[in-house]
Amino acid sequence: MSSAKEPLLKLTGITKHFKNLTAVNGINLEVQPGEKLVIIGPSGSGKSTLLRSINLLEEIDDGTITFEGHQVGYVTRLGKRHLDKPHQICALRAEIGMVFQHFHLFPHMTVLGNVMEGPLTVQKKTREEARQTAVDMLAKVGLSDKRDVFPATLSGGQKQRVAIARALAMRPKLMLFDEPTSALDPELVGEVFDTIHSLADEGMTMLIVTHHMGFARELADRVIFMESGRFLAEGTPQEFFCKSQDNERIRGFLNRLL
Amino acid sequence: MRYLISRAAAALLFLCIFAGTSLAATDYDQLFRQSSDLMVQGDLEGSLKLLKQVPAPAPGDDGSAFVSSRMQAARIYSSQGTPEAAMEACREVLKLFPDNSEARNLLTALEKQQKPRWHTILADCLRFLPALAKGATMTLLLVFCTMLISPLGGLLIALGRISTFRPVSALCWFIIWFFRGTPLLLQLFFIYYGLPALGITLAPLTAAVIGLGLNYSAYLGEIIRGAIQSIDHGQMEAAKAIGMTYGQAMRRVIIPQTYKRLMPPIGNEFIALIKDTALVSTIAMVELMRSADQLFNTYFNITALVLAALIYLVLTTIFTFIFEKIEYRAGIYEQR
Repeated sequence: MSSAKEPLLKLTGITKHFKNLTAVNGINLEVQPGEKLVIIGPSGSGKSTLLRSINLLEEIDDGTITFEGHQVGYVTRLGKRHLDKPHQICALRAEIGMVFQHFHLFPHMTVLGNVMEGPLTVQKKTREEARQTAVDMLAKVGLSDKRDVFPATLSGGQKQRVAIARALAMRPKLMLFDEPTSALDPELVGEVFDTIHSLADEGMTMLIVTHHMGFARELADRVIFMESGRFLAEGTPQEFFCKSQDNERIRGFLNRLL
Repeated sequence: MRYLISRAAAALLFLCIFAGTSLAATDYDQLFRQSSDLMVQGDLEGSLKLLKQVPAPAPGDDGSAFVSSRMQAARIYSSQGTPEAAMEACREVLKLFPDNSEARNLLTALEKQQKPRWHTILADCLRFLPALAKGATMTLLLVFCTMLISPLGGLLIALGRISTFRPVSALCWFIIWFFRGTPLLLQLFFIYYGLPALGITLAPLTAAVIGLGLNYSAYLGEIIRGAIQSIDHGQMEAAKAIGMTYGQAMRRVIIPQTYKRLMPPIGNEFIALIKDTALVSTIAMVELMRSADQLFNTYFNITALVLAALIYLVLTTIFTFIFEKIEYRAGIYEQR
């Protein structure tokens, strides 16, 4: 990645407190267009909170988020920081796709309805346009035959692929994956990874929180190890997963997982 | 119990037969004696069979044996709980001896117990039905008006309660607190009799619909709030994550998922509503309960009340079925 390019996403000093716990503690991060970034770390290290802060599902206490060169999400009035106007926040979220650990498909809509919902309601596209987009996205995740069923009839892996299609239908510039395979049976993990892989091959910019080290090694341009709300180490997968990993904490963490 | 009755009947009949035999023609003395013996032994069937052997009187015969036998049979039938057969026996006697007062009296007594009861009840029903139907129409009108108003009011109150804007949530809390915390009867009184003191005079129907509407909005408000908050928080997050506003997420994602959960408690409320409309009879409205009450006081006839109860049951049953259907429909997407 050349540093001359303008980063797609830039975080500076992101801090988030929960009562008496500091979940994210002054994180700085730059994500270049097309970059695939994997964040790993023990549970409770603030990975998910960081991810959720980016699309403002979590309101941060300090720091700035810059997306495509514009500072987003917060405005300062009379020296006090406030969340931006709702339509600004919605506009940002519409450009950032998010995939959750527990899918969160809309159970009262068919698979096609789920994928159409964003284009239809948020982008105000016509029903035909939205339908075409949804059909294309479902083809991309390999679920064209499941268009007209309700999510309750799908397997976990299929649900997660529909969730990916739902996010893609908004044509996002950045995709956030929050432990996309952690709720899946082991034999269903592969199909979801394959879907994310093909997305990566198309050049999608992605930020992935995962516990699957093999996946991280295979896919990532850059791996970040997070603990107690801070980045402890970062590097290419080759550097990160090499036997001579000299950081004792990381070595211990990797040994427990591999 | 059966034993006692049959013993009592047997003793009674025995006395009658004793009296009858002295009058009967001597030819039948033997038969009557056998018949009463069988009766004492409890064999009523056998006794009846013997009695029937007495033929219709021949010319010149005074027919006393015939009359005695048929009247005894009538008493046996009547004690056995087969009044139709007893009445038939009486008629047989009356055909030949129209002046026989014993047969006439027994027949009249039996007829009084029988047919006329159903006759009068049916006649009462037909007499009361138009007034009750009119009352039931008013009850249904009240129910439908409240069913239109209260879900909308309830939704507004529920959304208000969830709102992070303090004044709105406080106002909604107050509405629920007040309308759940005081009797509906008192609220109706206040709206109809109390508001005129403030210069607002309402027609009974308007007052009733406002009272019922506000009261049921408060209850449904809490039910709807509970249903909304029972939807997995992830649904709201997923909706927001694709860029929906709060309003879009509520309308498209959250509220449609509450329908199935809402149906059982709302069905409950609406069934309670059908019966609660009876309270508006206190503010000069004539609905089903009031109609029944008027008929009862005019004719002092319990049939009016029974009929009203039946109409209420029919209405609540129909509602129960409708809500079961809707609940099934609303949750169809959950089936695997």
